[in-house]
Amino acid sequence: MSKHDLTIDPPLMNAAGSLGFSPDLHSLVDWSKLGAFVTNPVSLMPRTPAHGRCVIEFPGGFLLHTGYPNPGITQVLRRYAGYWNRSPIPVIVHLLARSPEEVAKMVRRLEAVEGVAGLEVGMDSDTSIDRVVTLTQAACGEYPVLIRLPMERSVELAPGAMNAGAAAISLAPPRGAYLIGGGEIVQGRLYGPAILPMALRAVHELTQMSIPTIGAGGVYTQEHANAMLAAGAYAVQLDSVLWRGAGYHRFT
Amino acid sequence: MGHTSGRITEIRLEAGGQMEAVVACPIEAIPHAGQYLLASDLNNPEEVLGTTLFIAEKSMHGFWAAPPIPNSWRPGTNLDLVGPLGHGFELPRHIQRLGLVALGDTVSRLMPLVGQIGHSHGSATLFTDLPLPRIPALLEAYPLVSLVEALDWPDFLVVDLPLQRMSGLRDVLGLLDGSGLTCPTQVLVTTPMPCARLAHCGACAVPARRGWKFACEDGPVFDLNQLKW
Repeated sequence: MSKHDLTIDPPLMNAAGSLGFSPDLHSLVDWSKLGAFVTNPVSLMPRTPAHGRCVIEFPGGFLLHTGYPNPGITQVLRRYAGYWNRSPIPVIVHLLARSPEEVAKMVRRLEAVEGVAGLEVGMDSDTSIDRVVTLTQAACGEYPVLIRLPMERSVELAPGAMNAGAAAISLAPPRGAYLIGGGEIVQGRLYGPAILPMALRAVHELTQMSIPTIGAGGVYTQEHANAMLAAGAYAVQLDSVLWRGAGYHRFT
Repeated sequence: MGHTSGRITEIRLEAGGQMEAVVACPIEAIPHAGQYLLASDLNNPEEVLGTTLFIAEKSMHGFWAAPPIPNSWRPGTNLDLVGPLGHGFELPRHIQRLGLVALGDTVSRLMPLVGQIGHSHGSATLFTDLPLPRIPALLEAYPLVSLVEALDWPDFLVVDLPLQRMSGLRDVLGLLDGSGLTCPTQVLVTTPMPCARLAHCGACAVPARRGWKFACEDGPVFDLNQLKW
């Protein structure tokens, strides 16, 4: 990484939405194996669970639709900021915003909080380059900023984010659709080893463009993580593997 | 939250044609009725998600896990077990007439409660349209359509309720007029709980009288009057 360095050592971290809003020191997670903690997505106002939320397994993965429910930044700070300050590893707060104004308001709140090491801003799958630029600019301040781009559009959008001040790019789960009973199609985020080849390709292409990249998507084993690092990733985010019991035990 | 190892030692077909399995494990890992374990196949590193296990009955060195279980599991499969997790059923000591309602894919998750009521010399009646397993002698069983007329009988009611059927529960209970139940009722809300409360991911969110509750953490057993139904 270049400006606003954020050290992630060891080069493994959780992905936003995979381990909650703060490191739970009483959980089974061995925090010494992670170089940073990323919070669940936090929005300016509370978000309720999505209508039609679902989990649908398919060979090699699953589709998840939740709507990223969260209590909003005021409640998040009230409940979790104290834990961030006592975290054994750097805490990166993931922001979910609809406008640059929302980003700016949340950043101002977070800059008054101890224990935040960085920010990650999530972008929608249908975002535009202009929107990526304005949201990135709104997020840049005291903290290093990671921009989480839709995996399938990361090569197209990453240069704009970097020029606007991002410290690095991370990858959001790709979106997909699946057929459920009654012929209904549901859409959601895709997880599982089946998406690893797509994620590796994105990492490879981004690093070929000399863009600092945090790889993510489908990493279920140490070999998968090694492949991401060998492709040039600065660090690797783990997601649903962490839900498989003590999934982090597979990573050394 | 505990973490231990287990092993599948026996598999059998339940009356409905689904598989249930004996999980050999330490006694402290055995969930109470309505609680759950998150189980992962240690021999299958690319298994995508863990499996939620509920107890159907105790066994010599562990417990019978209620269906469904993965088709790939065999006797000898080694499991990583996390739990017991969540809030299970809590039957008051004084109850004498327990009503059980199975609206999901199995009656097995309610069966441990029949043993509990038997220990207190009470009686239990099951209402379901599902095929019945080897049911205990003290358990009477009736089709679901009988429930409406029998609602005055139980002094405590337990329901195995898939989340997607919650909106139809009033119809099942014959309470479309908006009236409430006369006896205390606990519901086991069955719904996928992919993160097993690690992430608060929201996939298992249950509409409650005040906002939302997560089945993985606040349940999966709830007092019915906590929920919006």
